[in-house]
Amino acid sequence: MKPCIALTKGRIEKQFLEFFQSLNYDIEPLINKGRKLRVETDDFQFVFAKGVDVTTYVEHGIADLGIVGEDILAEFQPDVYNLLPLPFGNCRMALAVEEGKEWPERKRCIASKYTNITKAFFKEKGESVDIVKLEGSVELAPILGLADGIVDIVETGNTLKENGLIVKESFMEFSARCIANRSSLKIKRDLLAPVIEALQKGVAVK
Amino acid sequence: MFLPAGSQDEIGKRLISRSKAYEIFGNVTANRNYKQISTPVVEYATTFTNQYAGMELQNMLKWFNRDGEIEVLRPDWTTAIARALVNQHPSQLKWSYQGSVFRSDKAGMESRQAGVEIVHTSSFLGESECLLTAVNYLDELEINDYLIELGHTGIFDELTSHLNLTDSELEKLREAMHDKRRDEVYQIAITNGHEEVANELTQLVDAFGSIDVIEKYEDLWRDQEILLGILKHMKQLAVLLQELGVPDVLVDLGRVKNLPYYCGIMFRGFIRSNGNTCFSGGRYDKLYEQFDESISAVGLAFDVDVLADNLIIENDRQKICIVASEQSHAFAEKLRTSFDNAIVDIQYNLTDEDRFDKVLEVIEEHNEYKVVER
Repeated sequence: MKPCIALTKGRIEKQFLEFFQSLNYDIEPLINKGRKLRVETDDFQFVFAKGVDVTTYVEHGIADLGIVGEDILAEFQPDVYNLLPLPFGNCRMALAVEEGKEWPERKRCIASKYTNITKAFFKEKGESVDIVKLEGSVELAPILGLADGIVDIVETGNTLKENGLIVKESFMEFSARCIANRSSLKIKRDLLAPVIEALQKGVAVK
Repeated sequence: MFLPAGSQDEIGKRLISRSKAYEIFGNVTANRNYKQISTPVVEYATTFTNQYAGMELQNMLKWFNRDGEIEVLRPDWTTAIARALVNQHPSQLKWSYQGSVFRSDKAGMESRQAGVEIVHTSSFLGESECLLTAVNYLDELEINDYLIELGHTGIFDELTSHLNLTDSELEKLREAMHDKRRDEVYQIAITNGHEEVANELTQLVDAFGSIDVIEKYEDLWRDQEILLGILKHMKQLAVLLQELGVPDVLVDLGRVKNLPYYCGIMFRGFIRSNGNTCFSGGRYDKLYEQFDESISAVGLAFDVDVLADNLIIENDRQKICIVASEQSHAFAEKLRTSFDNAIVDIQYNLTDEDRFDKVLEVIEEHNEYKVVER
């Protein structure tokens, strides 16, 4: 039986594969996978999914391990082991507003993909806000007058800048993480320990 | 008409498996001198949300009664039984229960459990009896490929007693340990304590495996009396399970409690083939403090739905159909009793012969009934 690893498609997938290759794992079948969503190598089975679905596959034990952004874990709080940070996918969560626009002195409206994180952030501050859930291009919301500000992940800040927004407050720092199914880690410990150890060593070197 | 998400009508095999799981549980516990107990399905929310039980109201199915009090569908057996046992004579030590619990954070909201609670019993005897009841029950269910995990709340409590943590910091550290999040465990511990404890807690995250893990830590903690006592206790239980032939005993020294009332040994059973948790439990003496009682209490609950899914029901009983008529129905009914171990159905017009191993037809000849095989 081979360990099953669920990978977040896109940038995290690419960065993980580079990192995995640096640990001397064979990633050749994964590079040339085309549109396949499931690929088997000599040592592992890989499945490719959206970040939030990676956590679902791991939580349900379909995948033993998962590689996913910490923003997803913070937002959805899946019931998994959150084992270790990986040396890529660094970003932060920020409250951003339109540059030069007055922050209104009334109950504010915040647009975000991350409604749970937004709710917790303003609760911690002791402020009541209305939250509008958006699925993407959140930067549009203040510009078009849907919201007073946004809560979103920021990597370089270029997208914010190009859309006339500035960071008002940063409050969480994230990286990609390796997660594990709670039962698999125990039952398949002999199978999973070597790869987790290799990831740990790789992180320490970086 | 539609069903809410997660709910489902059930027919056939699943129901038979569940009935069998309950029936075998009843036999096993009766043979081991447990007395059955049941509590109402409707309780006051405070029974479960008070500081001793510590459950989250948001996950319960609840409503206001006419007096404005919050009532809930039973979300947990252990707490309800603790409430009920306070009024029972202490001479009865072993209790068993079976029935549903309801939680809004679980798919389908209703899940079926069967479990045991042992009170007023010395620590090792109570814990051994709980675990051996589990082994006995799984054996009777013919579920052989499982793993039993042992943990202990005292390890985390003892190590963190050296740190100057506020309650909320301690809770964050406990959550980080629960998630085996090494980096955060180290971060919280180093910010508030000293490096030695931070390193020790971080290493503890990975301290799970066979009984060898205990032996390694016996050496590491040779000068720490409390921790050494805990290891000795865990080792005794692990050895007992091994002697009884449990296929895989695992210890997790980094496991922390997920319910506030656990205080001591914690155990859990996994089905190896699919990773499902088939039972969990532990010691919870503290739960009785709310009743001003100092009681030794330990118990575990089986997930009957998980067990039922893993049962192999072999239906080797012969299926017979007797084709009769309104006039010959009484004759056919008498005939049914002559088949001891078969499943016998009576029909007037048989449309699907393939569902039966044997079809008998009652025919009338010369004012007498006669049976012929089709």
